Amino acid sequence: MNIVEINALSKEYKVKKKRIRALDNLSLTIQKGEIFGFLGPNGAGKSTTIKILTDQIRATSGSATIFGIQSNKAEARRQIGYLPENPAFYDFMTAREYLSFTGKCFNMPESSLAERTNQVLATLDLLDAANRPLKGFSKGMTQRLGLAQALLHDPDLFIFDEPMSGLDPIGRAMVKKIIKDLKNKGKTVFFSTHITSDVEVVCDRVGILVKGRLVAIDSVEHIMATGIEGYIIQIRGQDNKTEEIKVSNSELNGVIARLLADNVKIERVNPVAHNLEDFFLDTIQAQVPTNESQ
Amino acid sequence: MQHFKLIFSATFVAIKRDRLLHALAGASLLLFLLVPVISMFSMRQVQELAITLFLSSLSFTLLIFSILLGVFSIWKDIEKRYIISVLSMPIKRKDYLLGKFAAIALFLMFTVCLMGIIGYGTITFAAHQYQSEIPVSWPNIFTAMLMSGAKYILLAVVALLFSVISTSIFLPIAGTIGIFLAGSATQGLYEYINSGSGAQDISLTGQYIIKALYYLLPNFSAFDYQVYAAYALALPLDTIFYTVCYWLIYTSFLLFCASIIFEKKEFR
Repeated sequence: MNIVEINALSKEYKVKKKRIRALDNLSLTIQKGEIFGFLGPNGAGKSTTIKILTDQIRATSGSATIFGIQSNKAEARRQIGYLPENPAFYDFMTAREYLSFTGKCFNMPESSLAERTNQVLATLDLLDAANRPLKGFSKGMTQRLGLAQALLHDPDLFIFDEPMSGLDPIGRAMVKKIIKDLKNKGKTVFFSTHITSDVEVVCDRVGILVKGRLVAIDSVEHIMATGIEGYIIQIRGQDNKTEEIKVSNSELNGVIARLLADNVKIERVNPVAHNLEDFFLDTIQAQVPTNESQ
Repeated sequence: MQHFKLIFSATFVAIKRDRLLHALAGASLLLFLLVPVISMFSMRQVQELAITLFLSSLSFTLLIFSILLGVFSIWKDIEKRYIISVLSMPIKRKDYLLGKFAAIALFLMFTVCLMGIIGYGTITFAAHQYQSEIPVSWPNIFTAMLMSGAKYILLAVVALLFSVISTSIFLPIAGTIGIFLAGSATQGLYEYINSGSGAQDISLTGQYIIKALYYLLPNFSAFDYQVYAAYALALPLDTIFYTVCYWLIYTSFLLFCASIIFEKKEFR
């Protein structure tokens, strides 16, 4: 089942009488239970896509549906937990008041709202700050509150725009754990980032956006598998010294068979792989001549 | 309706917790308490002056509140990016706008009521200092207060309209003040060009411009019932009825326009 369906979505902005194409004919589907990472350099159109999905801006052409409902309808946002980039919330409220406001906006029953509020505040480590005005919140705390308000009504789809932004390593680890937990619960997560290591750890699939165009889309597993350039075999020699042998993909089986025949102890076989960052950089690099020739 | 109520109460809480408004309310209170003292200087017309001063003070307070709330309420949400978090929930933009308007309108009317209580005390006190031949007409005073409230609700809608049109703060402030000044003057100018000397003094183009402004801009002087309150004159009920109808139509029209513009607005 397609939770998000984007069809030929384009967006043009008018900046000082010049038309700038922020999104160019983007088509994309996101399946139920999938963690989809939206990668791209700054200004690639990631946030533009998310803003169209959450009806902050309107597409110049094309369409997007969420759970089969046009994304510009308020009803489509009922099943979304959204974390904006650099979130800001009513600073005259306390964290608890804001979550209560959010819960009521999503028609959560009063009976479960208080309990659920405490749960998400505890998950995001904000219980101690629950009754403090948001005016005094640090950037990291605001980001965590953003995640809390997205999780509050337990939606089926989460859209996070740069969820790790402004977080310290502990906060980043917390977010990754939350995303993994959401996956285990069968939730769908669509998040944008330019940090490839985040995607590598949590995502099932990744799309790479460059200058408004989707230039690559693949499963993280496949990218990582196709990126293997060879292997390093760690062996213990007869003089009890550790040695490393670098072999190509095609040589691997033969070398292992020979080592075993020679009674050499194989301690470890490690793939030498391109990581997602290399794939990301190669993909962007590949676009440069295309874009320059235009 | 649920979302309208939520935006309404959130806006009302924001107004209640706004320190600038607290300071302005304190200054207004001081102004009201000075009314009996200043009225003494009139020698004979203490009561009449107290009523006029009280209504003028109320008018000034409401002017400041309506401009501040009308201009900053939505503009601040956009500027500080609160609106992105709020409108990404299943809230219709129309509900957001109407919720904001309702909270501002209620706050202005709440101010009228609160100041009315203070006014009752100050006018009664001033009236006892020097017995006037004219009785204090409370229905007239309350009518003048309510019409003043209606006038500034209309001004707040003008400010809301400008704040949804513009991304800068300059247009909402300058535009609202400009419309207020022009809308307060058109009635007098219209009457002047229709008088014998006015028609001779002002060019034909000028007369057309004045007439156009008179019909297009909100006529704020139509809400002025200070003279009826101060001198206990018989209230023109039919005029009041037409003014209320005018207010209803004009306010609804501006809200409708603001709603259409806001619906198309993009939050980048």
